[in-house]
Amino acid sequence: MIDFLAASIRIATPLVFAALGGILSERAGVFAVGLEGMMLMGAFGAVIGAWASASDLLGLAMALAGGAAMGLAVAIVTVRYRADNMVTGLTVNILAAGLTTYLLHVLAGSSAIQVDPLGPWPIPGLSAIPVLGPLLFAHPPLTYLALLGCAGLSFLLYRTQTGLKLRAAGENPEAVFVAGSSPMRLRFTAIICGGAIAGLGGAVLSLQQVGTFTDGMTGGRGYLALASLIVGRWNPWGAAAACLVFGAAEAFELRLQTYGVPVSSYVVQMVPYLIALAVLAGLGRSTKLPAAIGKPL
Amino acid sequence: MSDALSATPATRIALRRQGLLPRILGAVLLSFIIAALLIALTGHNPLTAFAAMLGGVFGSPYQIGEALNRTSPYLLAGSGVALCFRAGVINIGADGQIAMGGIGAAGVVLLWPGQPGLLSAVAAIIGAALCGAAWAGIATAIHLGRRVHEVLVTLLLNFVALLLVQLALAGPLGQPGAGFLQSRPLPRADWLWRAPHVFFHGGIILGVIAALALSVLLWKTPFGFAIRVTGQSRRAAAYAGFSAAGITWGVMLTAGGLAGIAGGTEVLGLHHRLIEGFSTGFGFKAVTVALLGALEPAAVIPAALFVGLLESGALSMQRQIGVPSALVVVIEGITMLLILAATVRRA
Repeated sequence: MIDFLAASIRIATPLVFAALGGILSERAGVFAVGLEGMMLMGAFGAVIGAWASASDLLGLAMALAGGAAMGLAVAIVTVRYRADNMVTGLTVNILAAGLTTYLLHVLAGSSAIQVDPLGPWPIPGLSAIPVLGPLLFAHPPLTYLALLGCAGLSFLLYRTQTGLKLRAAGENPEAVFVAGSSPMRLRFTAIICGGAIAGLGGAVLSLQQVGTFTDGMTGGRGYLALASLIVGRWNPWGAAAACLVFGAAEAFELRLQTYGVPVSSYVVQMVPYLIALAVLAGLGRSTKLPAAIGKPL
Repeated sequence: MSDALSATPATRIALRRQGLLPRILGAVLLSFIIAALLIALTGHNPLTAFAAMLGGVFGSPYQIGEALNRTSPYLLAGSGVALCFRAGVINIGADGQIAMGGIGAAGVVLLWPGQPGLLSAVAAIIGAALCGAAWAGIATAIHLGRRVHEVLVTLLLNFVALLLVQLALAGPLGQPGAGFLQSRPLPRADWLWRAPHVFFHGGIILGVIAALALSVLLWKTPFGFAIRVTGQSRRAAAYAGFSAAGITWGVMLTAGGLAGIAGGTEVLGLHHRLIEGFSTGFGFKAVTVALLGALEPAAVIPAALFVGLLESGALSMQRQIGVPSALVVVIEGITMLLILAATVRRA
């Protein structure tokens, strides 16, 4: 049981980062379909950075930079040139897939790049608590950071003036303009920062969990993160909870396979996507999107 | 009619009317320049690489046929996507619809064996179209019935369809003991017609017919007019008495059917069996060629041809001088970003 819950948390962590980045972008008024590409670039940057410099910190910096670069591309095309958010996001996902595959071939040839994955950082004292210790306080560093990120983003959005402006840029950009700020600049910044955070989610997948990069390793997680931030109603804690549900679904699926339960693994693998569809359909029109989302300025 | 349907979607693909062609060509040129820089990064001469690409495509009739075979699914699915985008419906589900088409075609041939060749081939294509259209229909029903954004629905269904192919291959259609997921080979009598000497299959011909037919539909019929009005302004369409829901059903089922046929021709014409993941990425290529063709079904023909030639050329570039063929994906991504930035009409 503890294993199962720990696995759920492990699987949910990259989703949480991506969802946080997506919330930042969508609250400012731009759909975050590009999360998949941002994660992929982040995953690539993290491993390449750590491999080239032998420093995990530089790897993480590269993950932030990779995600932010994809965010920049989205920001320029959607905010400056007012293109459709959805199609732009998808395009960025394609671009990231192409760039990472190309650069991986160029940098590593046919050999795989291996780095040491980030080890767990047990929190002294707390990790010795039975049951709760191994479950909550013996994770690798980025998992704690995801939790801090939820708290930080909540504070930013609901307790600071910047957060108020940012939400206004997504709800009523004219009001931001009248108040003397530039909604375009707010959106630009939010998308780029969101991209960087989603890039960290990619780093969790590559640098923290396996220590290598493989083509297309995000495998649709960016889209699941997108679904979970909608299910979580653009609220960091809500989105994190939704990510945990998806994480639990996938952890459950892995268990079923190891126990040899006679359910086709393909059916079980569909479960996260079906849950996402069912929840979105169930929420239906009650989902309250930021009012000005997708509207070009 | 509820507000979600009567209001024009906040985001839509409306291309400017003038100067489209030079802008699109400019986008392609600029992305090739960026690609040249990326090639130079690897220490190769970009000109040699591009020459290898060209030589690869036009080197032999066989390679031209191979490029046409790549073009065929992009054209079939892409012209349908262009129709959807014209109506303001952002259908990203071609991936899944192609996958379902593959299941449909292979299912008809393998589970209903022993029919005379022509009947079997026609039935397989129809089965493919129905499966693709049904998958698009599920997406449309969820989108319209529950007001979930069509991008999310079609995206999530893509993943489910991919797994359904694997499920079918692990079950009723699979070849036991093959070591990986594939169906039994289809009997030779059911293979799609292939051109002698050039080896392209009939899919490309179906694609050209479909694209031209959609172009006529879009510009010369009342339904096409309704599609264009709906894409431009839902309010104007509602005022004119066009049902946005009806238009959405129409374009989604048409696009789904065509994507299904694309999947069917891949199975019947190219692989001669159903293979795991045969459709992966095709849906996004369909969006690429639709945008490259400025959402004009007839113009998707040269756009799809261009992408098909580019891809088959890139494979021989990789074989000959070792520049990774993933470069093509980079070129496609950059071209699309540039087209989106340069051709979308200012609101």
